Amino acid sequence: MSRPRALENIRVVDFSWVRAGPWATRWLGAFGAEVIKIEWPESERGRLPSSTTPQDLEVNLNTSGNFNDTNVNKKSLSLNVRSPKGLEVARRLIAVSDIVIENFSSRVLRNWGLGYDELRRIKPDIVYVSMSGYGHTGRHHHYTTFGPVAQAVSGLTHLSGLPDKPPAGWGWSYMDDTGGMYGAMCALTGLYHRNMTGEGQHIDLSQMVASVPLVGPALLDFAVNGRGSQRPGFPPGNRAHWPGTPPASNYRGPTVAPHNAYRTDPGGYNDWCVIVCHSDDEWRRLVEVMGAPSWAASPKFATLSGRLEHQEVLDENIESWTMTLGKYEVTERCQAAGVRALPVQSAEDRVEHDPQLRHREMYREMEHPALGTRKVQNAPFKMSETPASNHLPSPLIGQHTREVVESLLGYSHEELRAGFADGTFWPTKRERFPYMEEMLS
Amino acid sequence: MSDAQPLPGPLAGLRILELADETGQFCGKLLGDLGADVVKIEPPGGEPCRHVGPFLDDIPHPERSLSFWYYNTSKRGITLDLETADGRQLFRRLAATADVILETFRPGFLTSLGLDYESLHEQNPALILCSLTPFGQTGPWRDYLSSDLLHMAAGGEMASSGYDEADVPNAPPIAPGGGNAWHMGCHFAYMAIMAALVHRTVSGQGQYIDASIHEACALTTEAAIANYIYRGEVLIRQTGRHHAAGPTPRTQFRAKDGAYVCALVAGRLNPRYIKELADLLDTNGMAGDLRNPKYQDPAVIAANTSHIIDDLVAGFIASLPAEEVYHAAQERGFTWGAVRPPEALLGDAHLHDRGFWKEVEHMELGRSFIYPGEAAIYNGSPWRISRRAPLIGEHNTEIFCDELGLSRGELSVLAEGRVI
Repeated sequence: MSRPRALENIRVVDFSWVRAGPWATRWLGAFGAEVIKIEWPESERGRLPSSTTPQDLEVNLNTSGNFNDTNVNKKSLSLNVRSPKGLEVARRLIAVSDIVIENFSSRVLRNWGLGYDELRRIKPDIVYVSMSGYGHTGRHHHYTTFGPVAQAVSGLTHLSGLPDKPPAGWGWSYMDDTGGMYGAMCALTGLYHRNMTGEGQHIDLSQMVASVPLVGPALLDFAVNGRGSQRPGFPPGNRAHWPGTPPASNYRGPTVAPHNAYRTDPGGYNDWCVIVCHSDDEWRRLVEVMGAPSWAASPKFATLSGRLEHQEVLDENIESWTMTLGKYEVTERCQAAGVRALPVQSAEDRVEHDPQLRHREMYREMEHPALGTRKVQNAPFKMSETPASNHLPSPLIGQHTREVVESLLGYSHEELRAGFADGTFWPTKRERFPYMEEMLS
Repeated sequence: MSDAQPLPGPLAGLRILELADETGQFCGKLLGDLGADVVKIEPPGGEPCRHVGPFLDDIPHPERSLSFWYYNTSKRGITLDLETADGRQLFRRLAATADVILETFRPGFLTSLGLDYESLHEQNPALILCSLTPFGQTGPWRDYLSSDLLHMAAGGEMASSGYDEADVPNAPPIAPGGGNAWHMGCHFAYMAIMAALVHRTVSGQGQYIDASIHEACALTTEAAIANYIYRGEVLIRQTGRHHAAGPTPRTQFRAKDGAYVCALVAGRLNPRYIKELADLLDTNGMAGDLRNPKYQDPAVIAANTSHIIDDLVAGFIASLPAEEVYHAAQERGFTWGAVRPPEALLGDAHLHDRGFWKEVEHMELGRSFIYPGEAAIYNGSPWRISRRAPLIGEHNTEIFCDELGLSRGELSVLAEGRVI
């Protein structure tokens, strides 16, 4: 049974690499766009180096696990865009496409002769999304980012950690994930606008700048009230407020206690749960769940202000209870009683133990020619008419070169062979993968 | 200032009804700032997250929540009690005019009021209804309570963030702040809504979207899931840098002014990089022995990684203020950055060049305030904050009377009946 796809008949020219750009186009592919990833093995970044190749496989351009998850729903065209012949192929592809997306430094595409003015000459209503570190305008447009740098410069890193300690920051490139989200959001928004008006445009996304709106309330607290984030007790770790410091918003939600992470049985590295009580009622329910221990009857915990003031003792006592149970058991008991609690979950927990993610089929298996059958992450939403779904494993490098060059662009098979011989479709001195020999036969 | 026929935003002409609390209000802002007419429907008396601080001048009041201000720009606001028959009838009339409805009620609530997607779709086949909830509409956790901290725990953010044992012994996993669980959910909800809108431009048909914040958070930990699926690895937490299968060199260094610098060095060390690094460190006379020709041998570099990073790079950064290190490094092509508190952004010249900061007028206060601007510049259809967050019921007359055709008398009756 074939369902309609939201982006049926939309073609995306995808020059992106590493993580943020490919994470964007992955979703356009899930919506049914034909995403053609242009790659070149000599300057490839995303497939190599790989720290996610299974232990029993050779590390090569086709065995990165993270690349597979980040690049499902795409086709791969290996193409030397820096050669005149390769550039001409790219131009012919752009001429029959709807979206061009890339995450190079700010001047790269223009230097290739593919700046927006030229893209528009090739395809007047093209939607061009550039995803550079600092954007194409502004005095620091030439600066470069990785996720952690964008997070640092924008203030996101500062919001994470314990008071009087170095920033804990984000333990991953949050802004590669989120930069990717914005890339997809910009492409979809530009496409909608094009469908409504007939006009394409250049959308200039910056990873660093995109981080800044994510610290909005802290920025307004400074711009409006003059209160900065370098102050005693901030950031307050997992708490809503650090005891013994002047009360102020933590920019996460209401200032309440308990609001923390607690160790659970058997006390391993990820045996933690979090518990939050938004009201006196929720606190009283937690007391019941804990079996109404005598310490909890103390009047100092009866009020919000008392719980905030005595958080150290409060948290110690709560942890003495959570240590007697597993994190999922704490969760179930609390939630059954109307108390906010969830386990800290590692990747293993999410894939193997999370009953909700299992029910929602978050991880479904797909077959990949080099990696075998593996679970792949699905969309976090269900669409009734045009479901987003993973329908292609990540491409082997250059896997679809013949299909794109001959079937889509109308080059002859002889021209394809000539392009392989002269270094347009694969470096002449580089060994070809067996599937390339097949496509040339 | 430039109000001489400005270009419309890319979503101009769309009517969105937003029934969202703190979990979904950012999605409405994303739509509104890009030009959609977002009508926020609050319960009479106002949405409870108006009581979340910080507050203007630290005076708590539902019209002074800066958090509410920030997340509700470019929306009009009306009040309506859906639990009254009149409220439901008016909502149906509004739903007939809407392109998209975004709602964050607990699963089953709208259906219990007879306002399920099927019946709304029947009267408006092009309607897109997006339910954005903590866990989605189905499954064993669908009725669980949540909060930002809870999502950061179950989504995996906390398992990846924290401290080296040497920095903070026995540290808990740390949930990064700022309410980002809501951002993650809203980004994906926005994406799904836009895909549905694009589809509608071709098919004319609306659809129902069931979006889950938990799933959005579980999708937002970069390679953690791949590390587990492909290698069975569960990652460790490290101070100010990536989770990893085993300890990796540090990337966060204290500068002379006490601020930190994020300097990604390990994994890039090769002879050419060493030369460029020596040039950078020499700008403050801190290259140490880095110009020694022995460092042109990759084996020597590998054997001295700790010296290069923990002595030389750390020493250079300790000799200058963080902002100076940041710019000196970037100007020489190093992908480094200062770890800044948010308030430092107000003085960032690059953001000023991009016109990032917006002055937003609060007419009722006779004041204007500076707000953060756009993630991306839409060159053909600009992003803009069209108005500050609505006051409670600010547009009741405009929408119920001027647009739906109720008389002022009927509006008064509805107000007396606490319907609006």
